[in-house]
Amino acid sequence: MRARITAKADMLTLVDLLREEYEVVAPFYGRGRDTYFDTVTDANRHLVQIHIPNPYYPPKRYVFPQIERLLQIHLNDHPGIQPTYEAPRRALFGIRSCDTAGIDHLDRFYLGRDFKDTYYARHRQNLFLVNVVCTDPDLDIDDDCFCLCADTGPAARDHFDLQLMDLGDEFLVVAGSAKGEAFFAHPIFRKGTPAHLARRREILGNVRKRFKLATSWYWSTVRYITNEEVEDSTWEQIGNRCLECGGCSYMCPTCTCFTVTERKVGPADYERLRIWDACALGGFTRMAGGFNPRRAAHDRRNRRFFRKLAHYFIQRELSVACVGCGRCVEVCHGDIGMPNVVETVRRTTAESKRHA
Amino acid sequence: MREQRPENVYLPKIAILDRVEEEIADVRTFYWHFEDPAEQEAFRRFLPGQFAQVSVFGAGEFPASLPPSPTEKDLFFTVRRVGSVTAALHQLVPGDKFGVRGPFGNGFPMNTYCGQNLLFVAGGIGLIPLRSCLNYALDNRHRYGKIQLFYGARGLKDLMYLGALREWEMSRGFECYLTVDRADDQWTGHVGVVGSLFKKPGVSVPVENTTAFVCGPPIMFRFVIRDLKMMGFHDTNIVSTLERYMKCGVGKCGHCCIGLAYVCVDGPVFTYEQIKRLGEDI
Repeated sequence: MRARITAKADMLTLVDLLREEYEVVAPFYGRGRDTYFDTVTDANRHLVQIHIPNPYYPPKRYVFPQIERLLQIHLNDHPGIQPTYEAPRRALFGIRSCDTAGIDHLDRFYLGRDFKDTYYARHRQNLFLVNVVCTDPDLDIDDDCFCLCADTGPAARDHFDLQLMDLGDEFLVVAGSAKGEAFFAHPIFRKGTPAHLARRREILGNVRKRFKLATSWYWSTVRYITNEEVEDSTWEQIGNRCLECGGCSYMCPTCTCFTVTERKVGPADYERLRIWDACALGGFTRMAGGFNPRRAAHDRRNRRFFRKLAHYFIQRELSVACVGCGRCVEVCHGDIGMPNVVETVRRTTAESKRHA
Repeated sequence: MREQRPENVYLPKIAILDRVEEEIADVRTFYWHFEDPAEQEAFRRFLPGQFAQVSVFGAGEFPASLPPSPTEKDLFFTVRRVGSVTAALHQLVPGDKFGVRGPFGNGFPMNTYCGQNLLFVAGGIGLIPLRSCLNYALDNRHRYGKIQLFYGARGLKDLMYLGALREWEMSRGFECYLTVDRADDQWTGHVGVVGSLFKKPGVSVPVENTTAFVCGPPIMFRFVIRDLKMMGFHDTNIVSTLERYMKCGVGKCGHCCIGLAYVCVDGPVFTYEQIKRLGEDI
C-alpha cells in the first residue's frame, strides 16, 4: 500500500526532511487575508500553514518564472551568447489539488508533443510536489473555488509526489511516485488501517458538499464553442466588461504565453528574458507595422476562452486549461472569470438556439 | 521525469552580414552566412515558405521570411525598417554579426504542385515571402506548367525585386504582369489594383489545374480572394502565407495563434480553405 499515517505534530518533521534535500516552498500568511508561497527557513518554519486560503499567486512561477533569463549576451567583436539555466532542487509543500493539476497542464504543454522546452524541463525535473487535500470548508475552500466542476479536486488523483490529507487528528499521506514513497522509510510514518480510509471517504464526501458560489458547466460551453455556435454579441457582452489588465493570465496556473525582450545589464552586456504575457493586452498580437489582428477587446476575450475551451486544444494537451482554482474570479474587476463566462456563453447560446 | 538535455531552440546561431542591397525605400536585402559552416549546411535544407527568427543582439528578435529559394547559393533576408529591431538591423554593416534561429514553419508543399500551373499574386512587400516559392519553381521549371506573377504596389518606387523579375522573365519563361496604384511620369504600364490585371486584354489565367499563391496587405488579400473565387478557383487551390507577431517560433509563446492554428508551426502557409476554418479572422 502506498499510503501511511503520520501524527499532526510530525508535519514539520516532514518539512525538515524535505529541507535536507530541497529548497522547500510553502504557503504562509501575510497581512490580513493575504497568503503567499515562500521559501521555508529556520526562522519561519513554524509558520508554515496547511489550512490557509489558497495564495493569490499560483506556484506556476517555480516552473515558469514571471521573468526568466534565457541568454546572456556579451557584445564584442564576436558576440558571446550563453544560455543560462536554473534548476534548483525544490519542493513545493502544501500546494492544492488545483495547482497540482495546473503544473500537470504546464507539463503537457511545455514537455508534451514534439518539442520540449529546455528551460521548463530543467525547472521541472528537480521539482518535488507535496499536495494537500482541501478539507477545511472555511479556510481551504472559498466562494470562488470550482475544482469540483473542473474535476481537479478537492483531492488530486495523481501528478504529486506526496499527498497530505488532514483526517482530524492525524495525516493520511499518499505517495504518488517512487521519490515520494522513499520517504515512508522514516519512522514518523506508520501503516494505516481500513478505518483511516473510511475516514478519508467520509471527509471527502462532506467536503464535496461545501462548494459555494462559483460553478462551471464546462461541457455544454465546450460544445457551443467548438461548434462555433456562440454569437458575436455574446463575446461583445463579455469583452465590454474587460478592463484589459491581464490579471486573469498572470494569476492563472495554466496560462503559458510569454513575450521575449532584451535588457541592458552592463556597458556591453544584455540579457534576453522571457516574461509572462497576457492575451488581454492590446499589444499581444500587434505587429511592428501597427496592424493588429485582434484590435477589439472582445476578440481578445474570445481568444482566451477559445484557447481554454475549444475541444481541439483540450484534446491536444489532454487536459482543460482551467483547473477551477477560482483566481480569475477573484482578480477580475469586470467579473468575467471563467465560471461567469462559461455560464454567460451557455445561457445566451442556449437561448439563441431556442429562438432560432 | 527522464533526464534530458535537448537542444535549446531558443539559442540563436551566429551569422555574419556579407553585404546589404537597397531594394525600395526602407527595405533592404541583407546577404549573410553562418559563422559555423556546419550550421550553414544544416540551415540550407530549408523549404520555400519557411521563416527564421533574426536576432540583433541588444535590440531583440523578429520573425523574417526567407526570400531565397533553397536552390540559390546565397542566404538573405529582405526586411523593411518598421520597428525597433528591424531599425537596428538596418544599422548593421558588412562584417557585423547577428543571430539566426530556424528555419521554422511548414513551408510550401512544392511536390504537390508538380504538373500544375502556378499563379502568384502579390501586393507590395508581400512578394518577399512568395519569392522563394517562385524562384524554386523557376529553378525546377520542367516540373510545373504555366507560371504567372501578378504583382502590384503603390507606385513604381514600391515594386520589389524588379531587376530579378525582368531577368527571370526573359531567361526562364514566366509571365510577369505589373501594376501600380498611382502612376508617375516614368510609368508606362498598367494602373489599378492587382485584381484588375486578371481582366486585362491579352491576359489569360488558367483556372483548371492551377494553384494560386496570394500574399499582400489584408485589404488586397480580401479583394484578390474575391476575384479568384469569381474566376472559379476552389478554396483548396488558393494558398497564402500569413504573418503574425511571434516570439518563439516553436508554438509556445502564444502570440501567433489564429483560432486553432499556431502560425509558427502549423503555418505560415495555409490554403484558403484552412484559413476560413481557423475560427478567427486573419
